[in-house]
Amino acid sequence: MSFSLEAVSQRYITDSGEVVHALADTTLTVEKGSFVCVVGPSGCGKTTLLKILAGFLKPTGGIAAVDGEPIQGPSWQRGVVFQHANLYPWLTVRKNVELGLKFRNVAAAERRKIAEDCLALVGLAGFEDKKTYELSGGMQQRTQIARVLANDPEIILMDEPFGALDALTRERLQMDLLKISRERRKTIFFITHSVEEAVFLGDRVLVMSARPGRVVLDEPVRISETYGRILPGKELRSTPEFVELRDKIADQIYESQGDAAR
Amino acid sequence: MTINDSPSESTTTAPPDEHLGQSLKVASDHRHAVRMGRVRRTGLQLSVLMVFLAVWWLIARMELVNPLYLPSPGAVWDAFIQSNSCRAISETRTVCGEQNYYMWEHLIASLQRMAIGVGIAVILGPLAGFLMATVGWLNTALEPYLNFLRSLPPLGYIGLLIVWFGINDTSKNWLLFLAAFPPIVIATINGVRGVKQDSVHAALSMGANRWQVGTSVILPSALPEIIAGIRIATGFAWTCVVAAELNAGIPGIGGLAFTSGQQLQTALTIACIIVIGLAAVALDALIKYLGNVAVPWYGKA
Repeated sequence: MSFSLEAVSQRYITDSGEVVHALADTTLTVEKGSFVCVVGPSGCGKTTLLKILAGFLKPTGGIAAVDGEPIQGPSWQRGVVFQHANLYPWLTVRKNVELGLKFRNVAAAERRKIAEDCLALVGLAGFEDKKTYELSGGMQQRTQIARVLANDPEIILMDEPFGALDALTRERLQMDLLKISRERRKTIFFITHSVEEAVFLGDRVLVMSARPGRVVLDEPVRISETYGRILPGKELRSTPEFVELRDKIADQIYESQGDAAR
Repeated sequence: MTINDSPSESTTTAPPDEHLGQSLKVASDHRHAVRMGRVRRTGLQLSVLMVFLAVWWLIARMELVNPLYLPSPGAVWDAFIQSNSCRAISETRTVCGEQNYYMWEHLIASLQRMAIGVGIAVILGPLAGFLMATVGWLNTALEPYLNFLRSLPPLGYIGLLIVWFGINDTSKNWLLFLAAFPPIVIATINGVRGVKQDSVHAALSMGANRWQVGTSVILPSALPEIIAGIRIATGFAWTCVVAAELNAGIPGIGGLAFTSGQQLQTALTIACIIVIGLAAVALDALIKYLGNVAVPWYGKA
């Protein structure tokens, strides 16, 4: 599944009656199977963009579409991974992961098998019957990812999913996510405020600037192609191409922030 | 001094049994301290009761107050026992309990009215709250009237209920229902409104329809508040029991308290008051316990 934005914009009125132009006319196409990372300062409309794609928010202008069909609302084919795990504490880890399949009336035995597979994929085999509030923050985030994977959506929208985690856990989850995205050929739209994370994960990085939010840089990441193979994490991060691209994007963010301040 | 002599080294080389023994001792010391704290608190609370009973007993004993107004603790205990047993009043007649019922039967009768009145509120209250919280215009239309109903003291409308539903149980059940319903509805509305938007969004993007979001996400999310509302409502309804049983309240613990007072059986009245209070405490503890069973995640997630 691919998705596209046609001159999508978003305005809203604050409680004090002020009109905020959260997102300027944005036109964008994301191909099936690509891993797009979005970086930018807070308040640049990254999350607004994600909410429009998820169907939580109707854009005030333009058309957001998946495979040419305008987005009418949330759908299981666009899974969302939130910054906070949002697990349901009244359900066990297993039941949380099975929930999407249950909503879609998948038979119990099949649900169980899929949930176990997905939990194993994120490294949580053996934690199926734990209570969610007994897990660490990293494990909760893994559970959330398993919950979205269990539904097998074509598109996965991720809103700073690793932002609240410690560096070590974040790095492990990044590796896991790369592996999963390569194995399962998902279209991934990944919001982060870490430039390093964006360049490491994405095959395309979008830089957004604030008020009104707009895409100011759309940069492909071709480091692995340059080397003709997939580099291990540490090696990749120290290639000159990686460092150069990271600095270019960081500069662009600083520049656009300067614009916003002026 | 060599490294081997350092204290950290000596602890790491200590036999594992000793470690285990030490940590077990720490744990048992902690448990001991907790238990002591509990014993001390209970002891303090019990000594207040003792002092209260002693002063009461002394006042009664020295006949500082006419026993008609203040019977002795012993007399109250006797009234309590007598109201739960049978006694021969002549060769041929035996009287059981008070007002033709044992006191526990009076208590059960009141609890039955509670079960019906509050029970219906526990079923309808969350439903109404759920509808009002999710259907905007319904809330706009009904909220002021709900607040109006909530602010009315049930004593104010019991007369009307008797006219409408008769002097027997129906009017009392209605009163308890009307007392318990608004707090439960309001707690449910607050609970539903407090559900995190992302929780709902997560369910929607997993393919949930409106019904599934309601039953699988919103209802369990709001459950802690609903239970808190039921607790408040039950406490309030219980205080209304006495009011509800002022008219034709026999059998009924409130009715017995009222009637015995009218007949100057003050010892029995005091016994009833104590039973009413203890029943309230027990009811509250029961709901609190059921709440903890139903919402084990509360405060943890």
